[in-house]
Amino acid sequence: MRRLVVALLVLAALAAWWVTAPVTLSADDLPDHQADPAAGERIFWAAGCASCHATPVEGERAKGEDKRLLGGGLEIESPYGLFRVPNISSHAEDGIGEWTALEFVNAMQRGVAPDGRHYYPSFPYTSYARMAVEDVLDLKAFLDTLPAVPGRAGEHELGFPWSLRRGIGAWKRVYLDPAPVVALDAADELAVRGRALVEGAGHCGECHTPRNRFGGLLRDRWLAGAPNPEGRGRVPNITPAGKTISTWSAEDIEYYLESGFTPDFDTVGGTMVAVQENLAKLTADDRRAIAAYLKTIPAID
Amino acid sequence: MSYTKIPACVLAASLFATSIAVAGDSPQHERHELMEGVGDAAKVIGGMLRGKVEYDAAAVMESLQTFDDASAEFGDLFPAGTETGEGTEAAPAIWDDRDGFNAALQEWSDAVDAAIAAAPATLEDGKPVLGPVFEACKDCHDNYRIEDE
Repeated sequence: MRRLVVALLVLAALAAWWVTAPVTLSADDLPDHQADPAAGERIFWAAGCASCHATPVEGERAKGEDKRLLGGGLEIESPYGLFRVPNISSHAEDGIGEWTALEFVNAMQRGVAPDGRHYYPSFPYTSYARMAVEDVLDLKAFLDTLPAVPGRAGEHELGFPWSLRRGIGAWKRVYLDPAPVVALDAADELAVRGRALVEGAGHCGECHTPRNRFGGLLRDRWLAGAPNPEGRGRVPNITPAGKTISTWSAEDIEYYLESGFTPDFDTVGGTMVAVQENLAKLTADDRRAIAAYLKTIPAID
Repeated sequence: MSYTKIPACVLAASLFATSIAVAGDSPQHERHELMEGVGDAAKVIGGMLRGKVEYDAAAVMESLQTFDDASAEFGDLFPAGTETGEGTEAAPAIWDDRDGFNAALQEWSDAVDAAIAAAPATLEDGKPVLGPVFEACKDCHDNYRIEDE
C-alpha cells in the first residue's frame, strides 16, 4: 500500500513537471523570411513596446525620442504583485541584442525565455502568439537598430502562489491559444487586417477584456470592458454595444486613434494616452482596419 | 444667419444660462460646468479642423474667446478641500503639483492668446495656431484629470 502511494506521488510529480514544462517552437517552424526593420517599426508602434519597456525619465513615462531607449525599469503594480519591466534594448549583456531570431520568437509567441524559464503573462505573449511570425521577425530587426541601453531591472516581487514561475506552464496550457478570437469572413479583408492588429500586436484585449480569478481572459466577454487594473474606474467596452463607442462611426474611431480626440472633442485619457500616441504612428489604412474590426465583432452588453 | 453660426449662438445662450445656474455653487460643480462650456466651444472648432463643418472665422473667434475667459478663471476653482466629491475628475496631482498644473494652464492660455492674435481667416491659417490650443487640452488632461467611465 505504501509503495502504491509513493508510486502515485511520483507519477503526480512527473505529470506536474510535464504539464508545467515550456513548449517552444523549433527552427523548422520559422519561415524563410528576410526581416525588414522598416516594416518592424510599424509593429513596434502597434505593439506599444515602448509603453512598458522604455526607461522612465525622472519617474515619468518616456515621451518622444526617449521611447526608443528600451532599458526597462518601469514598475507595474498589479493584483499579483510588483512587476519590474526588463531591458529589451540591443545591449549585448543587459538587453536582447545577442538573441537569435528563434529565441525572440519563442519569447514573443510562447512566453519562454532563452534559458527556458516562463515569462509572466504581464508580458502579453498570449496576444503576440496571434501575430504572423514574419511580423515578429521584422520587429526584432527593428529593435536591433535601436540604441543599446545598459542596466538591468530587479526581480519581480510577487505573492504566493504567483511567485512559482514554473506553474505558468500549466496556466499557458489553458490560456495560451494562437487561434483568432473572433471568426471573420476571409473576404472582409479590412476587418481581417484589423483583427491582426487588435487581437495580435495591439493586444487590446489584455485591458479591454475581463479576466477570471486566474488571470485568464473571458473570451465570451471579448473587448466588453473590464475593471481598470491600475485602480479606479473601468476600461471601457469597445464592442459595438459599448456605451460610448456605439455612438461613434468607424470614421470617428479612426480620428480618435489618429488625433486623440473623441467626436465631442474631449481628449483621450488615462493609460489610453500612450496607446493612442503609438497608434497615431500607424498608417491611415491600419487605423481604418482597426475601426472596421471593432465595428464587426459581436456586440456584448 | 448661416447654419454654422447657430452652434455659436446656442453656445453663448447656454453659457449665459449656465453662469446664472452655478452662481454660489460648489467649486467642483463650477469647474465642471466651466469645462463643459469649453468642451462645447472645442467641438465647434474641432468640427472645422476635421473638415466636417465649413470653416467659419467668426465662430472660431467666439470659441477662442470662451477659452480665454475660462482659462482666466479655471485655476481659482481648485481650493483646498475640493480634492474629491461630486464626482470630480480632478487628479490629486493638481494639489500635489500646483506649479505644474498652473504651467499646464498657462500653456493653454498662451496658445489661446496666440490664436486670438493671429485671428485666422482660413482653415489653412487656422491649423498651425489652433493645433497647439488642442494639444494643451491633451497635455493638461493627461496629467491632471482622472478618467472615470
